[in-house]
Amino acid sequence: MTPFEVKDCALLTRMSGLPPALNLRELRERIAVCGENVLFHHFCETPLRGTFDNPDYRNDFAVWSKLYLGDRVLGERLGILDPYAFPSLGDLRAATLEVLDERLSELTMIPWARPGDEFFFSEATTVVFSAGIRFTQPSRLGAFIRKMTNGSVYFHFLEARRRPPLGRDDFTAWLMEDEEANRPYIQALASIDFYFHTLVHLRRELGRVLNEVKVAK
Amino acid sequence: MSATLSSYEAIVGSAVIRQLRQLGEKLAGTRIVHVNSTREGGGVAEILEWMTPLMMELGLKATWEVIHGSGRFFEITKSIHNGLQGYPVSISGKDWKVYEDVNARNFERLRPILEEADIVFIHDPQPAHLLRLCERRKGKWIWRAHIDISHPHHPVWKSLRPVVEGYDASIFSMPEFARSLRHPQFLVPPSIDPLSEKNRDLDPGEVEEVRAEFGLDPSRPLLVQISRFDRFKDPVGVVAAYRMVRKVAPVQLVLAGGAATDDPEGKEILEEVLEAAGNDPDIHVLLLPHDSHKTVNALQRLATIILQKSTREGFGLTVTEGMWKGKPVIGGDVGGIRLQVVNHHTGFLVNTPEGAAHRIRYLLHHRDSIDLMGETAREFVRENFLLTRHIREYLTLMLVTLRPTQGNVIEV
Repeated sequence: MTPFEVKDCALLTRMSGLPPALNLRELRERIAVCGENVLFHHFCETPLRGTFDNPDYRNDFAVWSKLYLGDRVLGERLGILDPYAFPSLGDLRAATLEVLDERLSELTMIPWARPGDEFFFSEATTVVFSAGIRFTQPSRLGAFIRKMTNGSVYFHFLEARRRPPLGRDDFTAWLMEDEEANRPYIQALASIDFYFHTLVHLRRELGRVLNEVKVAK
Repeated sequence: MSATLSSYEAIVGSAVIRQLRQLGEKLAGTRIVHVNSTREGGGVAEILEWMTPLMMELGLKATWEVIHGSGRFFEITKSIHNGLQGYPVSISGKDWKVYEDVNARNFERLRPILEEADIVFIHDPQPAHLLRLCERRKGKWIWRAHIDISHPHHPVWKSLRPVVEGYDASIFSMPEFARSLRHPQFLVPPSIDPLSEKNRDLDPGEVEEVRAEFGLDPSRPLLVQISRFDRFKDPVGVVAAYRMVRKVAPVQLVLAGGAATDDPEGKEILEEVLEAAGNDPDIHVLLLPHDSHKTVNALQRLATIILQKSTREGFGLTVTEGMWKGKPVIGGDVGGIRLQVVNHHTGFLVNTPEGAAHRIRYLLHHRDSIDLMGETAREFVRENFLLTRHIREYLTLMLVTLRPTQGNVIEV
C-alpha cells in the first residue's frame, strides 16, 4: 500500500460580512443567500472552534434557535440535520430552508432574539500542512490516530468527506487500496456515528474500534 | 523566566506542541511587533508576556513594545476605552489632540521597528493612531480589539473608526464584539497560560499560606471574585448577592483586584466597594499589587465558587482562570462569559444580584455539582482556552495574511 501521509489543519474564523439575524425570518433569509462556506462553517466546522461543546446540538443554527429564539421545536428539528448525509451543500441548504419554512408556517408570531443575542454569520479559512508523519501498515492506523491532533482527525475523517471521493473519509479511502484485506477496518470506521462526537471523543472512538479489529485479527 | 513550548507537553500533549512547531517553521524569520499600552496589569499584558517569547522560540522575530504616556493620556484612553464599550463619555478635541501627540512621540521612538515589521499587531485603542503615522510601513497592520465595541458611544466611535479602518485586518474575541468594518475581521478568543504564576499548580502549603494571610476560615464556603475595580465588573452587585446568601449560609467573600497603570478610574470604584462592604469581617476587599499572581492563584483555588458578575465584559479571562482551577463559575450573562459558562455544565449565567444569590445557594445545596461542574470546566479550558490554541490561531492568521488566497483552504 502507498504510505498514508498525515496532514494537519488549523482553522481561522472570520466575520462573513452578512448582517446578523435578529429573528427567525431573518435567519431564513440569510441562510438562503449566504455562501456555502458560511453554511459549512456553522454545520461542520463547529468541532474545531474554541467554543463550548454544546451538549445539545452540533450545529450553530439549532443551538441559537433553542437558546436565543426560545424555540425548542425548531432546535430539535435543526439539531438532527446531519450535514454529511447530504450529497452537496446545496442540498443541505435546501433541507435547512425546508425546516425553517415549515416552522414559519406553523407559527403565528415570529420568534425574536433579544438585542445582543443575534445570530452572527461566520466563515473560516483552513490552513493545511503536513504533520510530518507517514505509515504504511493498516494495523497501525489506530495507534497513529490516537496520537493525532484534533486538526488531523478533523481533516482526515470529517473534512475529507467534501473532497473527492465525495462522502468518504481519508482513512477509508486509503484502506480501500486493498479492500479485501482491510474490510474489517473499513467496516469498523463505517460503524461510527461520527457527527455527534466531539473531536476528542471521536479520536478515542476511532482508536477503540480499530484496536478491536486488530485484536480480533 | 518564561516557560518553553516543551514544558506545556505534559498539559496539552505532544501532538499539539508538534503542530505549533510545524506552523512556526512556515513563518520562520517573520518580523512581528506587538504594541500595547502597559507592561503590567490587565489581560493584554499577561497575554503578551508569554506570547512574545513563545513566538520567538517558534522561529519568528517577535518583539513587544509598550507606548509611554502621561497620566492625562491614560485618563483620555480610559475614556476612549469606556466609550467604545458604550459608556457615555465626553472626549474633547483637545483630548484627541493629546491622544495623537502621545502616539506621535511614541512613533518617533518606535519608527524603525514599525517600518520594517512584516506584521504589526496593535492592541486596543491606545496605540491605534500609530498606523496613520507610519507612512513607510512595509508589512501588514492588524488591530486587535480585546474589548466589546459592538455598541460604542457614537461620538467616540465616529472619531476612532477612520483610524481603525486603515488597518489591513482586525481581530475580535467573538463576533458579538465586532463592528462592521471594510477589512477582514478575524475571530480569535484569548487564552490563559497554565504554567504562569497565576495558573500553575500550587503546593497545599502555598495555598494555606494565603488563607492564613487574609484570615479566611477553612470551615466555611468562600466566594471569590477576581477583577479590576471596574464599574462593568459590578463589585457592588457582588456584595449585594453575598448579603442575600449570608442570611441563610455562613459564606465569606473575597473581592480582589489589581490596579493597572492605564486605569485611573479604579480608585473611585474601590471606594464605592469599601463603602458597600462596611464593617463586615467576612467581606475581604483586597487591592493587590500587580504582581500578586500567586495570591490570585491561591484565592481561586481556595474558592468554593468563583464569581464574575460583570454587566459588560471582554472575554472574561478571570472566568477561564477560575475554571482552570476546577471551579464552577457564576458569571454575568454577557460577553465572553457566555462562551465559557453553560448552565448546569460549567456554572451559571446570571443577570442580577438576586440571580447570583440564587445560584450560589443552589450550589451550596448541591455540593456534588460543584465538583462535577469544576471538572467539566477544567477540561473545557484544556481543549479550548489554553495559550497553545491561541498561538496556533495567531500563526494561522499570519499565514493567511501573508499568503492571501481566493479560496478558503490554503495548503502550506
